Amino acid sequence: MVQSSRQRNLFLAFCLVPTFILFAVFTLYPLFNGLYYSFFKWSGASSLAEFVGLENYRRLFSDGIIPRTILHDYFLVVTKVIGIMILSTFFAVALTQMKIKEAPFYRIVFFFPNIMSVVVIGILWMFIYNPSLGLVNSGLELIGLENWTRPWLGSEKWALPSLVLPSVWAGIGLFMLMLMGGISNISKSYYEAAEIDGATEWQQFWKVTLPLIWPQIKISILYIIITTLNGSFIIVQVMTKGGPNNSTHVMGSYLYEQAFVKYNFGYGATIGVMILILSLITVLIMQFLMRREKVEY
Amino acid sequence: MQKGSFFSRSIVRIPLIIWSLAVLYPIFWMILGSFKSNAEIYANPWGLPDSFSLSNFVDAWSNYNIDTSVFNSFIVTGLGATLTLAMAIPTSYALERMRFRGNRFLFTLYISAMMIPMVLGWIPLFFLLMQLNLLDNIFGLSIVYAVSQLPFSIFVLTSFMATIPKSLEEAAAIDGMTPYGILWKIITPLSTTGIITVTIMNMIQFWNEYFMALIFLQSEENYTLALAIDYISNETQYTNSWGTLFASLVIAIIPVIILYAIFQRRIVKGMTEGAIKG
Repeated sequence: MVQSSRQRNLFLAFCLVPTFILFAVFTLYPLFNGLYYSFFKWSGASSLAEFVGLENYRRLFSDGIIPRTILHDYFLVVTKVIGIMILSTFFAVALTQMKIKEAPFYRIVFFFPNIMSVVVIGILWMFIYNPSLGLVNSGLELIGLENWTRPWLGSEKWALPSLVLPSVWAGIGLFMLMLMGGISNISKSYYEAAEIDGATEWQQFWKVTLPLIWPQIKISILYIIITTLNGSFIIVQVMTKGGPNNSTHVMGSYLYEQAFVKYNFGYGATIGVMILILSLITVLIMQFLMRREKVEY
Repeated sequence: MQKGSFFSRSIVRIPLIIWSLAVLYPIFWMILGSFKSNAEIYANPWGLPDSFSLSNFVDAWSNYNIDTSVFNSFIVTGLGATLTLAMAIPTSYALERMRFRGNRFLFTLYISAMMIPMVLGWIPLFFLLMQLNLLDNIFGLSIVYAVSQLPFSIFVLTSFMATIPKSLEEAAAIDGMTPYGILWKIITPLSTTGIITVTIMNMIQFWNEYFMALIFLQSEENYTLALAIDYISNETQYTNSWGTLFASLVIAIIPVIILYAIFQRRIVKGMTEGAIKG
């Protein structure tokens, strides 16, 4: 028995230890070290770090660009949540509850951008927004709206809103499928009962479909928030690099610029800590706001 | 519940058709552009190319060293996916099937890593890779990639392994099979569906990844495809070689299109399951 428990422990160690060591070295250690780095200042050569205490945090609060990056992040969060949730709910309801023969075609097509690389999506949309040969401006000219054409990504006012469309374009499919999964689990008897009570299709949507897919909607919204706060800098880096004149910088792209372009690694780490804190707070607040009694009919 | 009179179905089709065009047209436009000369792109951004010439692909392949980056991307993708499995299969098995102190904690630790902004860890990781001599090295990048997809892989594999009947393992143990044998000869083959799903998801992820590659790779001969097309895209501001850029974008999405065509259902399942984790 001693032998077999020893064998069991050896097997357990074989299963868990090598993986955990790699995870600890390449994920946990860097995360904690990121916290630690935020108290250092890099002076010139990349290996010379000097302990400066809370200096980076003081700088963070007096850096005029930081509030703008936070604002931009939340602008993207809000516009993406609204755009993606409205469209994907509409498409999910249309594809599950209407008798549309070619529904599988739409499902496959709408999902495809979800597996494309952000670089490919970003570059493709840079073309679409290109002032002289892009689809947006030449499309506007085609329908006689020459006055509306502009250098979309080159304009301080329009660059950030222009980043929303590619993100929505690339995001719809996944959330549509998640909601379709929720809708297909709803028992048909609820709709039959609603119909007998004389509910219109619109009322059925509000009173039956929406409350019953609320868990999927909640998860989708949280997922969009997390992925946007943790990853929106990728599309920014590809399409605008934060410009023009910082008008599209989000927290992550600003971190990249500070750390890997200007070599302010300590300050970059401080921005990273702020991203972590803001995403945790946001997720907690959203979970609190969206808590809702489970619907039982 | 069967709604949808003929009339309302026709109305609903309009946004569906518009969105399909919005998705498909840019992709077709990109593919058409890869066959056009620059003059054609300027003269007629909406139209068909005069002839389907492959010169843009040749240019991207040989003059912009796409061949090297494609090779690097294949290495990183293959190595990363293999390494993820080597780590995730035994760990998932232990977490799902064995009782030990800290089981629940360890599982939660792995899973919660899916929600944490990794960008905070990238600065120390940069210096760590430098010390390990793995900076600007596609093998170093493969390890980082593999570990980054570990939480997702464990999440999906444990839920798969939970469906395997325990009686199979018990029978094998009575027949004198070692736990290693059970893991390798019983659990792994029976988890094939889950392993394939996870592997496809990870491969797409590694093939497409851009930001970690941007930070951890520096010299052009180590570029992955994502970095190479970003590089060409930046060059294009000066050279205006739009056709070449389109061609390299097409090269980048061909493997993804092939995988999606073959494994459409599995990719959808893997992604929606991965998303629910949040």
